[in-house]
Amino acid sequence: MIRRLLPPLAPALVALLIFVALPMFWVLRTSFNELADGAYVVEAMTLDNYARFLGDPWYLVNTLWFSIRIALVATAISVICGYPVALYIVKTTGLQRNILMALVMAPLLIGLVTLVYGWIVIFRGGGLLNSLMIALHVYDRPVRYMWDIKGVVILLVYIGAPYVVLSLLDSLERISPYLVEAARNVGASRWTAFWKVVFPMTMPGLYAGLVIVFSLNFSAFAVPLMIGDSNTQMIGLIIYREALLNNDLPFASALSVIMVAVNALILVGMAAFFGRIILNRLEAKR
Amino acid sequence: MTRPDLGTIALRFFTLLMMAFLIFPIAVTLVVAVNPREFILPPNGFTLDWFKAAWSSKTFLRGMGVSLVLGLVAATLANALALPAAMALVRNDFRGKGAVNLVLMSPLLIPTTIFSLALYIWFVRVGYGSGLVPLLVGHTIHVMPYALRILTASLHNLDPSYEEAARNVGAGRTRTLFSITLPVIRTGLISSFALCFILSWNDFPISVFLAPPGWTPLPVELFSYIKFQYDAVAAALAGSLILLSALAMVIIDRLAGLRRVLRS
Repeated sequence: MIRRLLPPLAPALVALLIFVALPMFWVLRTSFNELADGAYVVEAMTLDNYARFLGDPWYLVNTLWFSIRIALVATAISVICGYPVALYIVKTTGLQRNILMALVMAPLLIGLVTLVYGWIVIFRGGGLLNSLMIALHVYDRPVRYMWDIKGVVILLVYIGAPYVVLSLLDSLERISPYLVEAARNVGASRWTAFWKVVFPMTMPGLYAGLVIVFSLNFSAFAVPLMIGDSNTQMIGLIIYREALLNNDLPFASALSVIMVAVNALILVGMAAFFGRIILNRLEAKR
Repeated sequence: MTRPDLGTIALRFFTLLMMAFLIFPIAVTLVVAVNPREFILPPNGFTLDWFKAAWSSKTFLRGMGVSLVLGLVAATLANALALPAAMALVRNDFRGKGAVNLVLMSPLLIPTTIFSLALYIWFVRVGYGSGLVPLLVGHTIHVMPYALRILTASLHNLDPSYEEAARNVGAGRTRTLFSITLPVIRTGLISSFALCFILSWNDFPISVFLAPPGWTPLPVELFSYIKFQYDAVAAALAGSLILLSALAMVIIDRLAGLRRVLRS
């Protein structure tokens, strides 16, 4: 068996070992190294890089806590925006469905820089969005989107919402329409049928969407780099800056380790939360 | 025919709003790209001058060349790695198959920021800090899981008795592969190649970490351009990228079903 499996699987597995596993391990190792004279990485076993980040309130508040907050907010908005769309798309068929699906998937395939260009045209001071909002009397003087946290959140939602729609559709399509019909037949209102039957069954899709979108948002660096400013120093952006502009690879590595650890902790927290909700529902049904 | 209730109407209205949100930047870019008055809206005509300017800019043409080479090489290598792996996974059941599959898909689970940084540090460590190889490797590994996903799906639809029949009439392994297997999964291969190519072509995060001087891919070139200059030439270039991506979307959707491919 091994002799038959090894030749076809080996090239891909070896490539992943050399170019994913070992580099990831090396990030961990580098995070304990030192930077000498601000230029050379020196082998060491120090926690200085971690202390520099975790001991500095500025980093903790303006980078780590800021990234967590902005990622949570953008993820929540993505879910609120994506859920109704998935509910609507699942009921459509034919051409209408194809068009809707194409629009949902377009942001995932068109490159980020291309999309950001369009958003810059929309965001600029006297740009489209401000003219539109003022014409609609939503507000009466131009609001700043470019180089601002508002623009960053809008971009993160723009990229995140399609993922929410796709993962929710996976769950929604598995729900038999007869189930909703049955609930309606025994006298449930539309709202009750949704809340008691459909919504609990979309929990796996919702959770999958949350995991993807939160991780994407939390580690984002291209969006704050292109749209943000000094007030949107997300942790991914600091990693980019320390690695490429300041050449401080040990510090960038320590930041990466912290980022992965915090991301994992938050996902575990979400899993516990969702697990409890699903368990509660099961208990209630008994 | 029952009248749609309030809930359905609200749902439809909200979906329409969201679709407008999703298409907004794409439509704006395309309009600015053909608008003779640049950013002044509404457009007062139609021009291809911005496209001509974008397509004759030396910087952009060079970026296109780099992205083209990068996309072709990454897509070829990714498929060359993924095809045998997909065949082994589809044809055999063994203990740990789930684990192997998870490992092969792992590049999707790692944030791009960290994957790029890790490769950057790794190549600096082995003394190959700035060259074309890290960029090629980064793109290849990044798109390989997508190739694996499409190829696995299309191999599932391949009836193994075709290959058995070929083997029975005396065709060797190689002959069977080239005369039976590859032609039958042709559509899967084409869409896998198209997807890998377009993902590499449009990539920004990996390129910005790994591109060596003199080998700047188009998206990074566009990013540096719009940082300092802000004109309709950039819109024409962005518009070209949108049209190319749309073409790739159509090809992949016709041949493999886009949805199955993009699911994370």
